[in-house]
Amino acid sequence: MATLNIKSLGKIYPGGVTAVSDVNVDIADGEFIVLVGPSGCGKSTILRMIAGLESITSGDLQIGERRVNDLEPGERDIAMVFQNYALYPHMSVRGNMEYGLKNEGLPKDQIAERIAEAARTLRLEEYLDRKPAQLSGGQRQRVAMGRAIVRDPKVFLFDEPLSNLDAKLRTQLRAELKALHQRLGATFIYVTHDQVEAMSLADRIIIMNAGRVEQIGTPMDLYLRPASRFVADFIGSPAMNVVEGTVTEDRRGLLVDGSRDIRFADEIPATAGARIAMGIRPEHLSPDASGAAQFHLVVDFVEQLGADTVVHGKVSGTTVPLAVRLSGVQQHGSGEILELGCAADQLHLFDLSTGQRLN
Amino acid sequence: MVENRPILTFLTHAILIVGVVFLCFPVWMALVASTHGPGALSQSPIPLWFGDQAWENYSQLLAGGLPEAGGVPIGMMMFNSAIMALVITFGKIVISILSAYAIVYFRFPFRMGFFWMIFVTLMLPVEVRILPTFDVVVKMGLLNTYAGLTVPLIASATATFLFRQFFLTIPDELVEAARIDRAGPIRFFKDILLPLSRTNIAALFIILFIYGWNQYLWPLLITTDESLYTVVMGIQRMVNSGEALPVWHYIMGTAVLAMIPPVLVVVLMQKLFVKGLVESEK
Ligand SMILES: Nc1ncnc2c1ncn2[C@@H]1O[C@H](COP(=O)(O)OP(=O)(O)OP(=O)(O)O)[C@@H](O)[C@H]1O
Ligand SMILES: [Mg+2]
Repeated sequence: MATLNIKSLGKIYPGGVTAVSDVNVDIADGEFIVLVGPSGCGKSTILRMIAGLESITSGDLQIGERRVNDLEPGERDIAMVFQNYALYPHMSVRGNMEYGLKNEGLPKDQIAERIAEAARTLRLEEYLDRKPAQLSGGQRQRVAMGRAIVRDPKVFLFDEPLSNLDAKLRTQLRAELKALHQRLGATFIYVTHDQVEAMSLADRIIIMNAGRVEQIGTPMDLYLRPASRFVADFIGSPAMNVVEGTVTEDRRGLLVDGSRDIRFADEIPATAGARIAMGIRPEHLSPDASGAAQFHLVVDFVEQLGADTVVHGKVSGTTVPLAVRLSGVQQHGSGEILELGCAADQLHLFDLSTGQRLN
Repeated sequence: MVENRPILTFLTHAILIVGVVFLCFPVWMALVASTHGPGALSQSPIPLWFGDQAWENYSQLLAGGLPEAGGVPIGMMMFNSAIMALVITFGKIVISILSAYAIVYFRFPFRMGFFWMIFVTLMLPVEVRILPTFDVVVKMGLLNTYAGLTVPLIASATATFLFRQFFLTIPDELVEAARIDRAGPIRFFKDILLPLSRTNIAALFIILFIYGWNQYLWPLLITTDESLYTVVMGIQRMVNSGEALPVWHYIMGTAVLAMIPPVLVVVLMQKLFVKGLVESEK
């Protein structure tokens, strides 16, 4: 169990690709951290630098107060679970799990004890003598986790461990992983590009974009107060509505496609004539004429989901598409006009050029 | 394309059987010829069925030397051939797997340079570089030694290349998992790479053993001492035994005996080979 401190970490691959730059984060003991972001944003690179599989170009990495920049992977007290499992194909499940312990020189009886316990935890007891090729994908993934658990490391690293599995199994293993984290109390660092996985697992999420950290925070921080338009777009499903426009002269409206339909209850923190993006989550809109932002929606079509209803339409007088999620069963015909509004803390305003949050 | 028409089945079988007969006929002839007396083979028609001299011929071959082959006992020649084939096979496998390991998994200066040097020698078969190699062997005083017979044939670009290609197909994650599991270079080689290469090693063993066993030109150049003759050379010497008529019944018997070890290696290693294939992952 240990803290992990990352100070201005950077990675430039030979050939000049800057994969990661200036990452700073302090991870508490026992925290479940999820690194999330689109493909190629540098998540795996960070994880591999922590593991010691990739050299660190700049910055410092400390595990439990000890600087580990120059230590071999085997000396860092970490364990890693790979996306494609990376089990040794010629060794049995038991062989796979005990290999690292044997190399450490642990006495035989302790090895056996640890393997028995890990096998019990992961329900692998009956498969201990099988070869990886004789297991299903989910079982292989559990063996890979078992191989990590038996080493009793300070930090567990996971690189998209569930992405090769089907949706149902993924949900099941996600729950097991969460339970495992609670029981072990170790620090987990988990890479995924699936925001649902990130939201459901993380204590804190690090969201990355093009090698930089966009925001670090709890899932609710990211959901309720995204620091940038990128985060707003990435987190939440269905995705947040984003409307681009120009701030009107009185700073209480948004000019979109020549329409002045969008009105704000208060002056917004942007200069008149500035180009901004307004973001509101579909579930935060309601038929409410007194909200912080108000506008009209021309209904195109309605999706009935049972528990709630998603209305798709366009902001009145524009071609900007927008979705609203209303609870319960609601009937709205095509062409109908709805009056909508949202609360002040559910209105997100971003600078269009920098993408940074304004309010 | 799996067709299921009786005519086609008949045709394919007929073609296969003709092929097998063609391939087996010379072997059959050698077997038959080795059971006849000296006279039977120099008159026509040549017998197509076994004679009654099998016991006499083979006991003569195995027990004593043949004057026609310079008096060297067959057993001795077989032994020399076995030594040569085994040393070449093991030597080639050990050296090539180690060099492939170095080239694939270690970053050292001029790594690719070394790889291309090895690769280029692929294009030069033994026969092309035989004179300079012979010269080196002479200067090192290795004529008429087992070392001279085997060492120059051990370096193998083909096997190195084969192992390199195989190592490149091993996923990087496996190597990384081993690093996290504290396996140093030697442990990684011994515990992971070697077991994974088993099928490749078995296949190479078959090919290289036969290659070593069938060497002809090189032993002919290197050995003048009869105690180092190999069986392939022996056969050749019997055929060209000067003025006298070739003793075909003995020659064929020797050929049959010389065939046994390679056949055994193929049969035995094939089991391992197939087992390896079945056990390795999908
Ligand atoms: N060995 C390498 N040499 C050069 N560039 C690399 C190397 N590995 C990764 N990169 C580059 O670094 C960047 C980040 O890669 P990384 O693998 O960390 O992305 P990722 O966030 O894990 O993406 P994914 O979700 O697709 O796995 C990419 O632009 C990639 O092309
Ligand atoms: Mg990745």
